[in-house]
Amino acid sequence: MHRRAFVRLLAAAPFVAPTPLVELRRGLAQATQPAVRTDLPTLRAVTRYAPAAAPGMPGPYPGRVVSVGSEKSVDIATGTANGDVVREMMARGMRKLTGAQTTADAWRRFFQPADVVGLKVNCGGYPYVISAYEIVTETVQRLLDIGIPASQIFVYERFQNQLDECNYTPHLPEGVRIVAAERANRNVDNSGYDPATYLEANFFGEEDTRSNMMRLVSQRLTKIINIPNMKDHGATGATGCLKNIAYGSFSNVARTHQRGKSHTYSMVGSLAAMEPLRSRTVLQIMDGLRGVWHGGPFARTTRYVFYPRQILFGTDPVAIDRLLLDIIEKERLAHGARSIWDRSPESLRMDDARARDADPNVNIIIREPGHVEYASTLGLGVADRARITVEDETV
Amino acid sequence: MTSIVPLIAALVLSVPCIYWTQGPSTRATLEAAGLKALCVPADQAESWRAAGVQVTAVSEAELAAREALPTPGVTVRAGVASPTRAPWIVANGWRMTRRTAVKYAYTPAPGAGALAAAEAYAYGADAIIRIDPADVNAVAGMLTFLQGLASADLPAVADFGIVDDGSAVTGEVMNLLSRRNLLYKIVPSPSPQFPLNVVIGSREYPAQEAADPSAFALRVRRDLTDDRRSLRIYGSEVVIGRLTGSGGRARLHLINYGGREIQGLRIRVRGAFPTGDALVSGVGHVSLDDRSVAEGATEFSLARLTTYAVIDLR
Repeated sequence: MHRRAFVRLLAAAPFVAPTPLVELRRGLAQATQPAVRTDLPTLRAVTRYAPAAAPGMPGPYPGRVVSVGSEKSVDIATGTANGDVVREMMARGMRKLTGAQTTADAWRRFFQPADVVGLKVNCGGYPYVISAYEIVTETVQRLLDIGIPASQIFVYERFQNQLDECNYTPHLPEGVRIVAAERANRNVDNSGYDPATYLEANFFGEEDTRSNMMRLVSQRLTKIINIPNMKDHGATGATGCLKNIAYGSFSNVARTHQRGKSHTYSMVGSLAAMEPLRSRTVLQIMDGLRGVWHGGPFARTTRYVFYPRQILFGTDPVAIDRLLLDIIEKERLAHGARSIWDRSPESLRMDDARARDADPNVNIIIREPGHVEYASTLGLGVADRARITVEDETV
Repeated sequence: MTSIVPLIAALVLSVPCIYWTQGPSTRATLEAAGLKALCVPADQAESWRAAGVQVTAVSEAELAAREALPTPGVTVRAGVASPTRAPWIVANGWRMTRRTAVKYAYTPAPGAGALAAAEAYAYGADAIIRIDPADVNAVAGMLTFLQGLASADLPAVADFGIVDDGSAVTGEVMNLLSRRNLLYKIVPSPSPQFPLNVVIGSREYPAQEAADPSAFALRVRRDLTDDRRSLRIYGSEVVIGRLTGSGGRARLHLINYGGREIQGLRIRVRGAFPTGDALVSGVGHVSLDDRSVAEGATEFSLARLTTYAVIDLR
């Protein structure tokens, strides 16, 4: 496929009137979750999809993360990844996570030849910190190895212009499809979203109160592999598994954070918990070859780029993101930057991205790293660090 | 206007008249664009008629006597609005709703002539549009589209009443209510027809609150509740709708102020309308996709919205 071909899945399934299966009213949830904040907006999830018997998140390995590191994975001087090393990191990580004897068997624990698999990549940190070509390519190759045809493999993002920039096509086998929901972030292109599957909330009085799931996710894919990066984020504190899969699979999400205020605390997890996204997202591969410690989710310069040189594997997005919070925090503190947990108003320069980019002690929004813990209250995984097991591996 | 033939009078009432100051030498350009009737300066009227073109003479004084309208569209307001999240829309429908007997005149910026024509038509305004010559094809296309629409004499749908004291503050509140697709009817006093009546200066709606019309409109929205709104538009912050209807029929006018085609706009209209049909300017018939009738409302998606669409629901 030509890299600029804009592909969306339109009306892939007959329309069925939406049925509100889930109503997430945070005030009620508060009664059983005293640690969770009370000042949360009402969120209403509308979906006709029932959860799987064993939803993909948190999946078979709640609270368990495999971390594979290698100093040889990225040449820090050039930022170039070593494909052979990454391949070995991927193989060891998958085997360690599953306990399988062979790499192919490890992948078979999650996927069957009949599956239609989506790879949720992250292009927001182009050009320096995006889902690495080496990881994406290796993931696709292993899916092909276990009998999934290329035509049943989709690499997806919300915006085609971002996919164009990243240009995965030369790195992927013929036949793998690269799909976006919108041409660009202009709020004029809704046909790639499922009108019957959405989360409704009014945050700031916006007229469009719905965030709709991509049709690709709700109507075509049977399994999803989430491949986020290790990045700082001005509204959420850090962006990893949860935000990548949530804000990268729904429309109209930027409305949650503006003018210093972020509603990402409850929105990120609530979107990730929506069916069928929750059930179908079966594998988390966090690309930590490179990272961003400030100014995220963007990485238009190398100023805030760092190199963790590790890949995290798991099925529990909350556990991985809980580790991510510490990774970003540690890197920020090493550079003398404010904590991601800082809520002091003096650091706030509302909506002034230029000031934020120039000074790591400037926030444009009060960050909400607590979104990770909140997601745990929705059953998406384990946020308590003491209950998270990390198994390290070195290549 | 000094001389109005009956045909032109009908056109002026239904479709805005294009004010063209260039002389009859431009006739071929107009004919090629498909413009068949014009408003022209009074001193040019005879020469146009001699050239066989149907025109209405409009003097400078008559033009000046009309209420001038700003160019409709989206403008930049640094620090106040953002292009995609909270765009600053300049729209005139509230003025036309407020004062139906007033005659209006637009001098839209280049590129906005067709939008002005659609806006005036949607609200049934008597409007003259002094277009930029570069807009002639776009405007002529819009007029052809408007003239091809079947008439539908249906009353405006309203969800609440607002008492208009004639003040600028109330006008700006109406502007923001319209911009948020909150459907109101101007009433002389609180009407039992509505569950909610807005009287600025009352105990419920103090005048000082209206000093921030945007926040005031949000307050009205909260009081009304979204569930009771007859019209919701999802997928854009730059589309304003005008809903008319009665007796199981409805006509929805959608005006896109954003300047970019919108795909997959989602509409929710209160009431059950099993069938419907959309006509979109520059496109023609467009299907209503993913239709559903549930919970007392009809929803559908409009595959394409250019500048203007008319949707008839039954």
